[in-house]
Amino acid sequence: MAKILIIDDDEPFRVHLGTLLRNAGHVVLEVECALNALDKIALDPFDLLITDIFMPRMDGFELLSALLRHHPRIRVIAMSGGGMTMSPNLALSVAKKLGATDLISKPFQSGEVLQAVDRALASLA
Amino acid sequence: MNSGHENHELLDIRKLNEMREELEEGFATVIRHYQAGILHRPERIRQAIRERDAEQVALESHSLKSVCRQVGLVHMGEMSAQLEAMGGSNELDAAEALVEQLIASSIVANQELSRYCQGSEPPRPFFAKDET
Repeated sequence: MAKILIIDDDEPFRVHLGTLLRNAGHVVLEVECALNALDKIALDPFDLLITDIFMPRMDGFELLSALLRHHPRIRVIAMSGGGMTMSPNLALSVAKKLGATDLISKPFQSGEVLQAVDRALASLA
Repeated sequence: MNSGHENHELLDIRKLNEMREELEEGFATVIRHYQAGILHRPERIRQAIRERDAEQVALESHSLKSVCRQVGLVHMGEMSAQLEAMGGSNELDAAEALVEQLIASSIVANQELSRYCQGSEPPRPFFAKDET
């Protein structure tokens, strides 16, 4: 069982991922923006973050950069269906360079998410 | 045979069946959240078109596209992608007509998703011409 924080500005995705991961036995918290995520992480440690890339106010790239500076041990799975000016592949490749542990395209497959979570948690050990 | 069913099928039942298996009792709750997005986002796109805010049209359409694709609403996902492109290229007159189709589809999609969750009837394609 791990403690996982989900960051996505689209509520249906947050609820979907949260349900999937709770069913898998994890403790899950969901927030709608990266700034809230940084607040939560400052108060309470998480094993893993799953974050969307394209979000208002602060995007997943900025979040990854901040995490790299202040929480280098935290594992991050980046998710994206692409942005207005960036394909999903390019967005995820940038996220990887910024330190994302794993990458998932939207629409996502549940099995793919669960496998990525297992890989990320195994790398913590 | 190239019936209306094949031309107008909007819902990927296989996708929903997979989600139901994966999410078990949480499935209905998750679908209700997707339904809320499917109903409200098209109205927000229409509002952005009325305000001639092309960037907002593109942003809202982009989000709706992701939501529709995730839940198996294939045709709505395609329309959202078209609206996103129209917002990106500031073709708001063309978007005005398409968003009305999108809103009509979202109402039917919502009904079909509700029926699927209730399991009262087997799911069927949208806009079937020969349904009685």
